[in-house]
Order: sequence, then structure tokens, then C-alpha cells
Amino acid sequence: MAINKDSAVENARNDLAKRLQIDASDVKEKSVEDDDFPDMALGAAEDGEMSGQMITSGWRIKLEAQGQTYEYRADKNQVRAFKFKGQNYRV
Amino acid sequence: MNRNNFFIHLALALVLILVAAFAGQLSRWRKQWKSHLVIIPATEKKKATTVEEIALTETRSFGRPEVLVKFKAGVSQQAIEQLTARFHDRVEDRIESVDGLEAIDDLDNAAAANVVSEYQQLAEVEYAEPNYDIELDAFEGPLVPVLPHDPQFNDQWALANSGQRGGKQGADISATLAWATTTGSDKVVVAVLDSGVDYTHEDLAGNMWMRPASMAPYQDNELGTIDDEYGFNAIDRASDPMDENGHGTHCAGIIGAEGENNIGIAGVNWKVQIMPLKFMNAGGFGTTKDAIEAINYVIDRKKAGVNVRIISASWGSTQRSRALGEVIRKAYENDILFVAAAGNSTTNNDRNPHFPSSYNVPNVVSVAALDRHDQLAKFSNYGVKSVAIAAPGVDILSTWLGNGYEEKSGTSMATPVVAGVAALILAENPRLSVDELKKKLLASTDPIVALKGKTVTGGRINAAKALE
Repeated sequence: MAINKDSAVENARNDLAKRLQIDASDVKEKSVEDDDFPDMALGAAEDGEMSGQMITSGWRIKLEAQGQTYEYRADKNQVRAFKFKGQNYRV
Repeated sequence: MNRNNFFIHLALALVLILVAAFAGQLSRWRKQWKSHLVIIPATEKKKATTVEEIALTETRSFGRPEVLVKFKAGVSQQAIEQLTARFHDRVEDRIESVDGLEAIDDLDNAAAANVVSEYQQLAEVEYAEPNYDIELDAFEGPLVPVLPHDPQFNDQWALANSGQRGGKQGADISATLAWATTTGSDKVVVAVLDSGVDYTHEDLAGNMWMRPASMAPYQDNELGTIDDEYGFNAIDRASDPMDENGHGTHCAGIIGAEGENNIGIAGVNWKVQIMPLKFMNAGGFGTTKDAIEAINYVIDRKKAGVNVRIISASWGSTQRSRALGEVIRKAYENDILFVAAAGNSTTNNDRNPHFPSSYNVPNVVSVAALDRHDQLAKFSNYGVKSVAIAAPGVDILSTWLGNGYEEKSGTSMATPVVAGVAALILAENPRLSVDELKKKLLASTDPIVALKGKTVTGGRINAAKALE
């Protein structure tokens, strides 16, 4: 099932809360912008992952929690945590 | 006999003489007419070229003089007429500007060489020679562009940039000139290592590789027999490489959407065989391990007799895998070119490598992207040491899922342009080794100011030059 912007943001908030072991209500939405990413992994490939080198449109999601900003990237196919503690993760 | 009878008899005699003379002339004319209607065999024609050959051979109904004979000075015209009559020939024409030069028509229609020999033996003849055919030389001027009638061709600026949508005229790969030499061959197989290919697409179906009936299905050591009728799916090790994303279908169309079929677009190759290899999923990403499996499959099929000489790899990441590098080297050892996307992070691959395009393996050709103004695409990676060449990669129209057509951008799109040109080269020069093929590609560029210091060649691929 294709992901839309709202569900992408919701998924991102829930994932960040889980990683930080906090309540999802403590994760605030800072910004959600349409953006183009350099590849089909949204520039956030996991270890051992290869992706198509095609400019891919999606959303750049910035969340705030515990005084820090975290970035997620999403399109209709996926939601990814970008460089969370130096690593990319597909949610 | 009285006087009246004398004159009557004389008149009758004269009439008979006239009738006889006329009848004789009629017979002579009839004989001449028949002999002159014999079709003179055509001279041997040259091999057909892409341009017309026009023969200037005369085709008059009264026959063509076989020989030109120069009689020596002092030989009278009467003597010439007597000599030719002896051979049952006739003087077809006298060349007034050269004394004694006659065009002789052999009424027996003998071969010119024989007629020449007859006259050369005469003491009265200075020389004799055949009346040679003269033809125009084959036109060796500039190639004439070949334009397909595929309805969306005008939107394919990468192949023919006429300045559409504000582009720079001529900022293309000279495909229309290349097609004057070849439009590709269904004997060349290009493996598209990607998200699969929609092999039912209306503009691709005619150019899809299928495993020949005489070839055994693929054997996997762990999974056993895989019926690879349409290609290979490394994700689930199944037989169906159907594209669920669109990216692979787009790349396949750039290489070889069927040309001149009045449908959609034209690929760099109007005719080719595309072998789909699926290792990326519906999201457009996959694992290094599955990419390795797919390359392994290509090598196996090559060994089994499939003429797969090129892998088009529009994917990558910044992570280096030794295993992937090794299997690409194995492909090199099996005479397979590996064309790979340089990446879209606007970075210098000489400092920050992008794989697989940055592997230092002889068969790897790394490709950067250009826009319709002959500028390096704002997203394109580059590298004067590690990125070989550039090709159009912005707003590239090609095939998409569901018989669709879409414009996409990326070094993903530039890569199959180069892979497609490599296939054109092989269509024309099937025996080139992978080293020769790569050398030919890199030597076939137009220098582009924006690429100076950015790529090894500093140039945009030129398909027409690649076929010279």
C-alpha cells in the first residue's frame, strides 16, 4: 500500500520514539517539505544496500525530541531514518 | 523484239531490280533491328551502400558500340567501312575531334574483349579498347540523418536536440547520424541489471531476450533449476523479472525501445535484445548480494552461448564491496562490458568513490549526466580520474510501467545511453573484445567545456563517431 505524507510523518514519529524509548507524544514535528533525493533509497541507503541512481521525489521530515533534531526521508514506497547516530535505517 | 517490247521489258527489269534492292535493304534493316534489341548484360555492380549509385551506361535501342578503335593516319573512311563490314560490324559513330577514332558496333554482339582482339591484329589499327561503363563514384560525403517516425521522438532531446524546450541545438549523442550506419542488431544482448523490466511493454516486447528453446534452464547450486525464460530474478530466485518499480523499464527503453514501429519512442538501438535481471525491489533498492547473484547469472548465460556483451548498471552506493568487485572482474574475464552510473550526490568520485562505478576493473565505464544545455547535471558526480564519460541524463523520456512513458533524471538515465551506444558498436563490429569496445567508446566523444577536468574524456558520447 502506497505511503502518503501524513502516514509517513506518523511512521517517522513512532519510529523515533521507539529508538529513543520515549513516548510518541514527546516527538514534535518541526518541518515536512517536498524534496528531491539523489537516489531511490532517498540518499539514505542501509549498509549493503544498492539503489537506483534516479532523482526521486519525496518528503524530508524533521522531528524534534529531547532537544535534538532528527531527519527522516520518505516517499510512497518507504520511510527512512537518515543518519540516526551515524546510520541509515529503513523503517 | 520491237522497240515497245524493249522498253516494257526494260521497265520491268528496273522494277524488279528496285524491288530486289528494297527487299534486301529491308532484310538488312530487320537483321540490324533484331541484333540491336539483344539486351547487353549489365556490368558487375558494386556492393550497395547507403547512397545511390547511378550508372551512365547508354541504353539506346540500336545497340551499344562495344569498342573504340583508332585507325592509323592515312586509313580512309572507305577502308574503315570495308574493314568493319568484313567483321560484320558497323561504324556507330565517328569521333570528329580525333582523326580515325571510331565507335564500332559488333552486329553479332560478341564480347567486347573479342572484338578488341580482332581489331588489334589489323595493321591499319593504332589501338582498340572496350567501350567501358562509366559510373558515378559512391557518394562519400556526410552521413544523412535517419529519423524514426516514433510519435514521441521529438521529445527525446538526448538523441536529437533541436533546441526543444530551450535546449542547446546539437547537444545530443548524434544518434540520427549513427543510425545511417546501423540501428542496432537483434544479435546483441544487453543485460539490464536493475528492478526488472516490464517485458510486456508495447515498445519493448519486440526487443526482449528470451532463453532459446535449445538452451537448458539456469541451474542454481542451492535452488536447482530456474526457468529463466524471460531473464532472472535474484530477489526471490524466481524466473519472473517483471519490473514493479519502473526504473529498470525506463533504462531498458533508453537502450532499446523498438524504433520505427510508430509506437512511443526510439531507443538508441531500434533493434536489440534486452535481458532483464531483477535485483532491486518495488522500492528501487536491493542488496549487494543479489546484484552479485544476477551478475553470476549473466556470466553463466554467456558461457552457455548467449551473446550478452554488456551489463547496464544504473545503481550504486558509497559502500565498497570486495565481493561485488570480484564478480565484475569475472564478467570482464568473460568479455562483458560493465557500464555504471557515477552517482547523483554532486561529489567528486576521485575523493569519495561511488560503487560499482568506481571499481578499478578494466571493463567498468563510469557515466556522468549532462543536461540539455551540455552542462554537467547539477546532481551528477564527476571525477577526472574515475568518471569516464558523460551522456544526457536530465528529463530523459523513456518507457514506464503499464505501457507508460515518463521523463526521469539521474546518472541512471545517462548510463543506458552509453550502454546503448556500446550495443550499436557491437552491432557493426561484433568481434570487438571488451577492451576494444571500451576503448572505442572512450574515443568517441565530443569535447564539452563543462566536462573539462570533470571526466576522463572531457566529452559527451557521440554515437556516430563510435561507428566510424
